[in-house]
Amino acid sequence: MSSLGQSQASDRPTALSGRLLARARAHSDQILVLILLFAIWQALSFWLTVYWVGSPWGVVTRLYDGVVNGAILMHAGFTMSEAIIGFIIGAIPAVALPFLLRRLPIATAILDPFMVGGYGAPKLALAPLFILWFGIGIESKIALVAITVFFIVYFSALAGVRALDSKLVQMAQVAGANERDVARHIVFPGAVPYIFTGFRIAMPYSIGGAVVAEIISANRGLGYLIQLSAMNFDTTGVFVALVAVTIIVFVMNGVVDFAERRLLHWRPASDAKMQSSQ
Amino acid sequence: MSTQTLLEVRDLSKRFASRESRDAALWVIKDLSFSVPDGEFLTIIGPSGSGKTTLLNMIAQIDTATGGEVRFKSEPPAPISDPKLLNPGLSCRIGYVTQEDNLLPWRTTLQNVLFPLTVQGRLNDETRARAQTLIRTVGLAGFENHYPHELSGGMRKRASLIRTLVYDPPVILMDEPFGALDAQTRAVLQEDLLRLWELGRKTIVFVTHDIAEAIALGDRTLVLSRAPAKVIGEHRISIPRPRDIRGIMSHPDFSALYQRIRAQVQ
Repeated sequence: MSSLGQSQASDRPTALSGRLLARARAHSDQILVLILLFAIWQALSFWLTVYWVGSPWGVVTRLYDGVVNGAILMHAGFTMSEAIIGFIIGAIPAVALPFLLRRLPIATAILDPFMVGGYGAPKLALAPLFILWFGIGIESKIALVAITVFFIVYFSALAGVRALDSKLVQMAQVAGANERDVARHIVFPGAVPYIFTGFRIAMPYSIGGAVVAEIISANRGLGYLIQLSAMNFDTTGVFVALVAVTIIVFVMNGVVDFAERRLLHWRPASDAKMQSSQ
Repeated sequence: MSTQTLLEVRDLSKRFASRESRDAALWVIKDLSFSVPDGEFLTIIGPSGSGKTTLLNMIAQIDTATGGEVRFKSEPPAPISDPKLLNPGLSCRIGYVTQEDNLLPWRTTLQNVLFPLTVQGRLNDETRARAQTLIRTVGLAGFENHYPHELSGGMRKRASLIRTLVYDPPVILMDEPFGALDAQTRAVLQEDLLRLWELGRKTIVFVTHDIAEAIALGDRTLVLSRAPAKVIGEHRISIPRPRDIRGIMSHPDFSALYQRIRAQVQ
């Protein structure tokens, strides 16, 4: 009996090293693909000239210079703060609302078509409206990011609350749990994986929303840099800003991954993998 | 053993709402009555689909009854036909070990075992020590910090069993707790259960569809009919304790009891 459990426990280090090996192999293949893409890009820049497609080397040197003299960091910092603040403002009510509505099925049903409408509406089309309302400063970008994030996370959190296992609730009630205990110990932990799926989907949208709002109207940020470079026919400049956006998305994805692993270490590895591959 | 009645079920009935008209066949349980004296290990046996789980759900008050009453000690019968007035676990005095282990996947073995104490606000050095003792007794020592998915089926079952024992409810309901296990693990767990029971002599209502299990564990066995379920047989199991679970079949009384019960279980 106990030997069975021990063998399960001792399987872990080998499983872990196997995973690391697989990951290392995947990484080397990924680097190969990256080099190939750069090679194609470089070839295109010779063929179509740097004027139209820029060049990878030019982008790397310009990016380096931009980081060293702080210009890129300033714009990136601006875009990131819009994305992060907007994300927080959008995500908090999106997570809280399904929990508040859990005991109010009628209110949930009334709200549902409006939420579906809000989810389906193209949020980027709201950008001009927000600029009209909140000006060309940081507020209009935050508003756009917040509304984009809100609907994505709301539906994920709602799915998490709805996936509640009523048998676990009954078990808890028999053991003496009150309504608050059930919400805290059962509903919330059960919904966390769903909420993180929402975060994972919403995160690139938050950066994208900030960048697009900047393209429409701004005087700072990576979106502004894209717009400015394009107006000056500076193709390399556009690519520099795009690469910077991509790097930010990667880093933020890593942050979400890290937080998810810390919070969801109770899940079987296969589950976690399925979730993260979505 | 005192003879004071701890739990009394009287004319308990359950009908599931029908899509069509009031169909008589939808009565799962009809006028079912029995009582359990303090400290008795009662086993209930019935064919599958005879409403055994429904019966325990009604006693545990996680499901409503259509009619009849359940009394705890000499208290007035609980209002169990109104879903709003249900009191699951009747104020932590009726424990329930369900068919599935229902461990919380985000809690470790120890945290799962401590869960009832946590929500009852009874977590202290004494109750923690009790939990540790139970964990050692059922062989889960060393697995306190494992999550449920890292445990085998038998270990999960043990964890769910001691999660109920840890807060010491006077009555414990068990719904085929060992049903899904292999024969070997099952025998080990039956031995564990009897050992734990003999330490505390709780009142246990243990539902099963396995006649040998009903005989091996119980002081008394009730036989339920097919739905609508009612008690159609009562057998006192006089095999002395402590019992040898693995050798129970070779006890001279076993065979006759088995045949008598077998004849009643349809």
